[in-house]
Amino acid sequence: MITNFILRALDGKITLTVAILLVVAALVPALNLLTTPDSALHIPTYAMSLMGKYLCYALLALALDLVWGYCGILSLGHGAFFALGGYAMGMYLMRQIGSRGVYGNPELPDFMVFLNWKELPWFWYGFDWFPFAMLMVLVVPGLLAFVFGWFAFRSRVNGVYLSIITQAMTYALMLAFFRNDMGFGGNNGLTDFKDILGFPVQADGTRAVLFAMSAIMLSLCLLVASAITHSKFGKVLVGVRDAESRVRFLGFRVENIKLFTFVVSAMFAGIAGALFVPQVGIINPGEFAPANSIEVVVWTAVGGRGTLIGPIIGAILVNAGKSFFTGAFPEIWLFALGGLFIAVTLFLPKGIVGTIRQGWTSRKTLRAAADQEKGRGTALLPQAAE
Amino acid sequence: MKFSSKLGGALLAAAMSATALSGAFAADDTIKIGVLHSLSGTMAISETTLKDAMLMLVEQQNKKGGLLGKKLEAVVVDPASDWPLFAEKARQLISQDKVAAVFGCWTSSSRKSVLPVFEELNSILFYPVQYEGEESSRNIFYTGAAPNQQAIPAVDYLANEEGVERWVLAGTDYVYPQTTNKILKAYLMSKGVAESDIMVNYTPFGHSDWQTIVSDIKKFGSAGKKTAVVSTINGDANVPFYKELGNQGVKAEDIPVVAFSVGEEELAGLDTKPLVGHLAAWNYFQSVDSEVNAEFIKEWHAFTKNDKRVTNDPMEAAYIGFNAWVKAVEAAGTTDTDAVLDSIIGVSVPNLSGGTSTVMPNHHITKPVLIGEIQADGQFEIVQQTPSVVGDEWSDYLPDSKNLISDWRKPMSCGNFNVDTGKCGGKGS
Amino acid sequence: MRITSLFAAFFALLLVSLAAPSFAQQPVDPKPLIDQLAKANFSQAEDLIGKMAAAGDARVVPVLQAFTDGDLYVRKTDNLVFIGKTAGNGFELVEPLTGESAGQVAKNAVTKIKVNNSLRRAIRSAMGGLTLLSPDRSVRLQAADAVMRSPSSENLELIEAALAKETDAEVKARMEEARAVSVLSSDRSVEEKRDAIQTIKDLGGRNALGILNTISGSIDPALTADVEAAVAALQSEQQLWDMAQNIWYGLSLGSVLLLAAIGLAITFGVMGIINMAHGEMVMLGAYSTFVVQQVIRDSAPALFEWSLAIALPVAFLVTGAVGFLIERGVIRFLYGRPLETLLATWGVSLILQQAIRSIFGPTNQEVGNPSWMTGSFPLGGMTITWNRMWIILFSLSIFFALLFLMKKSAYGLNMRAVTQNRRMASSMGIRTPWVDALTFALGSGIAGIAGVALSQIDNVSPNLGQSYIIDSFMVVVFGGVGNLWGTLVGALSLGVLNKFLEPSVGAVLGKILVLVLIILFIQKRPRGLFALKGRAVEA
Repeated sequence: MITNFILRALDGKITLTVAILLVVAALVPALNLLTTPDSALHIPTYAMSLMGKYLCYALLALALDLVWGYCGILSLGHGAFFALGGYAMGMYLMRQIGSRGVYGNPELPDFMVFLNWKELPWFWYGFDWFPFAMLMVLVVPGLLAFVFGWFAFRSRVNGVYLSIITQAMTYALMLAFFRNDMGFGGNNGLTDFKDILGFPVQADGTRAVLFAMSAIMLSLCLLVASAITHSKFGKVLVGVRDAESRVRFLGFRVENIKLFTFVVSAMFAGIAGALFVPQVGIINPGEFAPANSIEVVVWTAVGGRGTLIGPIIGAILVNAGKSFFTGAFPEIWLFALGGLFIAVTLFLPKGIVGTIRQGWTSRKTLRAAADQEKGRGTALLPQAAE
Repeated sequence: MKFSSKLGGALLAAAMSATALSGAFAADDTIKIGVLHSLSGTMAISETTLKDAMLMLVEQQNKKGGLLGKKLEAVVVDPASDWPLFAEKARQLISQDKVAAVFGCWTSSSRKSVLPVFEELNSILFYPVQYEGEESSRNIFYTGAAPNQQAIPAVDYLANEEGVERWVLAGTDYVYPQTTNKILKAYLMSKGVAESDIMVNYTPFGHSDWQTIVSDIKKFGSAGKKTAVVSTINGDANVPFYKELGNQGVKAEDIPVVAFSVGEEELAGLDTKPLVGHLAAWNYFQSVDSEVNAEFIKEWHAFTKNDKRVTNDPMEAAYIGFNAWVKAVEAAGTTDTDAVLDSIIGVSVPNLSGGTSTVMPNHHITKPVLIGEIQADGQFEIVQQTPSVVGDEWSDYLPDSKNLISDWRKPMSCGNFNVDTGKCGGKGS
Repeated sequence: MRITSLFAAFFALLLVSLAAPSFAQQPVDPKPLIDQLAKANFSQAEDLIGKMAAAGDARVVPVLQAFTDGDLYVRKTDNLVFIGKTAGNGFELVEPLTGESAGQVAKNAVTKIKVNNSLRRAIRSAMGGLTLLSPDRSVRLQAADAVMRSPSSENLELIEAALAKETDAEVKARMEEARAVSVLSSDRSVEEKRDAIQTIKDLGGRNALGILNTISGSIDPALTADVEAAVAALQSEQQLWDMAQNIWYGLSLGSVLLLAAIGLAITFGVMGIINMAHGEMVMLGAYSTFVVQQVIRDSAPALFEWSLAIALPVAFLVTGAVGFLIERGVIRFLYGRPLETLLATWGVSLILQQAIRSIFGPTNQEVGNPSWMTGSFPLGGMTITWNRMWIILFSLSIFFALLFLMKKSAYGLNMRAVTQNRRMASSMGIRTPWVDALTFALGSGIAGIAGVALSQIDNVSPNLGQSYIIDSFMVVVFGGVGNLWGTLVGALSLGVLNKFLEPSVGAVLGKILVLVLIILFIQKRPRGLFALKGRAVEA
C-alpha cells in the first residue's frame, strides 16, 4: 500500500528531478571539498552556500505550490511558516553557543543578557536538545497552520479574503517578533551561531553537509508532494481547486482536505526555514515581511504553478538572477526584476514549466490528431484542466 | 515530459556555473574595496548617501595617486535592506571579488548579520553609524558613535544647561533604542532622577501616527517639572513625529527634543521652521566651522553635482574610517588583513570638526561630541562641543557589561575581557 | 458710534504705549547691555536679557526679536552688536536701537551671536513683559501668553499696569489669567493667591493643570488644599476630554486609512484587481505635490498657500494617466485571472519605486505645509491640529464625491454594469474596455490625490507607498470588497479601535491586536463587514 503510494509519486519527470537533486547533493560538496581552489572544477564555498540558500527557497516555493497550485489556496503568508521553522532552528543554534557568547553567560543568549533578563523564558526550554528543536521545526509551523486553517476553512473564508488574512497573519507576526520583549532578539534576530551538533557552522565540511541536506530534503519533500498529488486524495485536491462547491456536494469534507494540505505545506516551509538559517547565519523578523511571502508567490508563478517542479526552477532562477543583478547592476536591478514579473504574467501565464508542458502537450495533440486522420491513432484522453 | 526535466537540470547547472564563475579576477594594478550599503528597500533612504560618499573618497584617493602605487576600485553591491542578503553579499565581496576591506552596513541587524562572515573569512569592515555598543570584533572598526559619544553628553547638556528634570525616552522598538534607553535610564537614576520622572515609550518601525504619543508627552510634561524628550526614533518615523510636534505646538523652549538619529539628511525632508531649537547630538554637523569641513562640503557638492546635498555624521565616520584604513595600509605596506589590523591601532587622522580622531585598541575611535540646535534652514547651530571622547564599547551603566573591556593589541587580543575574572569571554569557560 | 469709540480707545492705547518708557523708575540705556552680548556666554547673556527687561525700554524689543531669530551679529572689527539681514553675499547691518543702517559687510566680517533654548525662553519672557502695552492687539495677546508661560514678579507689575489700561475683553481675560499665574509665584497675600487659583481652575485644560502642578510644591501650606482640589477637579474634567480627544485621534487615523484605501476600494474592491501598485500611486501623488511646490517656489512663491489646491488636479491627472497606461499595457490582458494581477502589479510597483528613486533620489523630499495646514486650535480640553482636521474633511468629501459618481452618474452606471455582468453590459452597447480603463484610471487618480494629503503628514520618499499598502488591503477586506460604505466604516472603526488600544497596550501591540481582530472577524464574516449579496459573490 505504502510502496504503492510512493511508487505512484515516481513519474518520469519527478524521478529525474530527484535524481538530479541527489547527484547535486553529492557532487557539489565533493567538488567543494575534494578539489583545490585553482582547479577548474572547484566550487567555492561562497557559491555552495548560495546554492544551498536557493535550494531552501526552492523548498519553500514547493510548499506554496502544494497549496496554491493544487488546492487553490493563495497563501500570502508562507514566509511566516518559513520564518518560524527558521526561528526554531535558530533557537537551537543559540543555545549551542553556551558560554561562548560575549558575556560568557552559560544559560542566556547575549541579547537577553544585555536586556537584563534574569532567566530563560519558558518557551526556550528544550531547544538545547536537537531532536526537540527539530520536532519544533515541524510542530510550530504545523500548529499555526492548523489553528489558522481550522478557523479559516471552517468559516469558508476563501479567495482574496483568505490571501489577505494570511498576509495579516505574517504581518502581525513580523510586528510581534520585532518587539524586543518577545524574547526572540527583536530586530536583530538570532545570529552569531557557533556550531550545530558539535560541528562548527562556518566550517566547509558542515556547510557541505548542510548543502547536501538541503538537496536531500528538497527531493524528499518533492516525493511526498508528488505522492500526495498523484494519489486519489490529490485528485480530490484538484477538484477542490477547480470547483469547490461541487466537491462539497459530492460529500467530501472540503475543509479537512484543505486543512491537511495546508498543514503539510506549512511543515515543508518550516523545514526550508530550518535549513536556511544555519546556511545564511541569521534569522530575524524581516523574514516575516509580507513582501517576502509575495516573492515566494512570484517564484512559484514564474516556474509554473501546479507543476511541483516549476516552483523549484522558478525559485532557483529568480534568486540566481537577483544575486547576479544586485551585484552587477546594483542601481537598476529592480527594473529587471519588476519587468520579469510583468513579462512572465503576460507572456508565460502558466509559468516556464507549464508553458513548456503545454507546448509539449499541444504538439502531442497535433501528432495524435494527425495519427487519427491516418486512421492508426487511438482516441485522445481529455486533457486535465490546468 | 523529458523536455521539462532536462530543462530543469540545465537550469540548475547553469545557475551553479554562473555563480561559480562570477568571481571576477582582480587585476594586479588595482586594490578593491567593497561598498556594502542598501541601494533599495527601506534603508536606501539613508545608505545611498554613504555609497556616494565612499565613491567620492575613492575618487579623491585615486587623484592623490592611489594607494601603494595602485589604483583603488570600489565594488558596489546592493544588499537591498535584506539582512541575510547582507551576509551573502559580504561573502561575495570578500571571497569572490577579493576586496581588501569593506565599508558598509547601517543597521545593527545588518552588522550582526555580516559579523560572522568577516570573522570567518578574516577581512575588515568599517561600520560608520552610531550604534548601541556592546560589541567589539577583531574584524570590525566602529567609526560611528558609541552611546557615551552621543547619548550621555546630550543628556548632560539638557540637565545642566536647560535644567531638565523629567525625561521622556522615546524610541523605535529595536535594539539601539532599547540599549541606549537602558543605559540612559541607569545613568539618570545614578544622577538622582526618580523613576517616576522617566517615561519610556516604544513605537514600531515607520510609525506614522504620532498624535497619541505627542499628546502623552505633553501630558507628561505638564507635571510641573522641566521636561525633555530623548528621541531614539529611527530615521523614517521622524518626519511625521516632528510634524506632529510642530502642529501640536510643542515648542523647543518648553519641551526640547534631543535626537540621536536625526541629522541634516533627515531634516532635508522637513520644513524646520516650527522645529527651531530642538536638538541633536552627533560628532559632526555640516555647520562645523573648520577649513577641512568647508573643503569636504565643496568636494561633495562638486562630486554629486548638486550644491543642495547635505553632509552628515555617518559621512564623517565613513571619511575617518576610510582615511584611517588608507593610513594603516600605507604604514603596513600591504592590504593584508592581519598586517592592517596591527598597524591601524593608534592611527590618527583628521576629522571634519577640526581635530583628529585616533583608532583605539577597542576598535572604536576618539571624537568630540557636538550638541546642535535645529535652525530654520535645516542646519544645526552648535551649542556645545566637548573635547574628544573615547568610544566605550561596553557601557559602564549596564550591570553585565561594566566589567568588560576590549583590547585588540597583542597579547590580549580580546574583544570582551572580563576584568573581574581575568578571562577573555566568548571562548568558553 | 462703536467704531469711533474703538478708535478712541486705540488712540489712547497708542499714547500710553509711547509714553510707557517714562513709567520705568530709572531709565537705563540698553545700548551697553546689547554690546556686552558680543562676549557673553549663554548664562551671561541670560543675565543681560534680564537686565534689558528690567530696564523696561521697549526699544529693545526688535533687538530681542532679532536675537531669538538668530539675526544678531557681532562686527569683528569693533565688537559691536548689530542686527544683520542677508543681503546678497553678505549682511546688511542695522544699528540695533535706532534701526539706522550701518552698511553692508561680507559674511566673514561678522560672527553670529548664538542663541539656545534657555535664551529663547528668557527672551520670550522679557518680550512678553515689554510688549504688553503694544498697540497691536495680537501682539498683546501673545505677550499675555508669554507672561503666562514664564511668570516673574517683574512681569506681575507690568501686567497689572497693562490690565489697568486694557479695554479689549479677550485680551483682558487672557491678561487676567497671566496675572493669576504671576501672582501664584509672587509673594502676594493668601487671599489674592486663592483667587488666582480659582482663575486658573476656570481656565481649564492641560495648561492650567501644568501651572498648578508646578506651584503645588512651593505654595503656601494654607493653600495646599485649594490647589489639590483644583487639580483634582481639573483632572476629572480632563479625563472626559481625553476620551473625546482619543476618539478624534481615532477618526483622524481612520481618515488617513480611508484616504489610503479609497482608491483601492475601486481598483480592488470594484474591479477585482489585486493592485499591489496602489501604494505607488499614492506615492506618485505625493511626488506630484513635491514637484508642484518646487515649481511654485521657483517661479511664483506667492502662490504657495494654494500649492495643495494646484497639486490636487495635477496629481489626479498624473496618477490617473499612469493608471490608464498600466491598465492598457498590462492589466487588460489579465481580466478573469485576479491572482495573476497580483504578480504583474507587484512588478509594476517595483519598477515605479525604482523609477522614482532614480529620478528624485532615495531620500525624503520636503513638501511644505501651507500656513492653513499648520498649528492647532483648542476645542475645550482638546487640541485639534489643523492638518488633521482638513484631512478628515478632505477624505470624507472625496468619499462622498466618489459615491455620487458611482451611484448617480451615467458613467457610474456603466461601471457598475460592467463589473456586475461584463457580457451583458457589452451587449447593451457599453464599451467595456473603455470603462475598464477609465475605472482603473479613476482609482489610481484618487490614490494620487490621497497622496497629496498624505504628503502633509508623512515622509515623501520612494517607500511611501509600501507603508500604506497592507493597511489599505486590510481596510477594504474588513469593510467588504466591492462596497464603498464598507470601506468608510472599516477605515474609521479600525482607526478608532487602534487609538483606543494604543494608550493601554502601546503602539506596537495595539497594531498586532488590530490585525488579530481582523483575522478573527473575517472568520465570523468571511466577506467583510458589508458583504455583497447575491450571485455576484460566486462569480
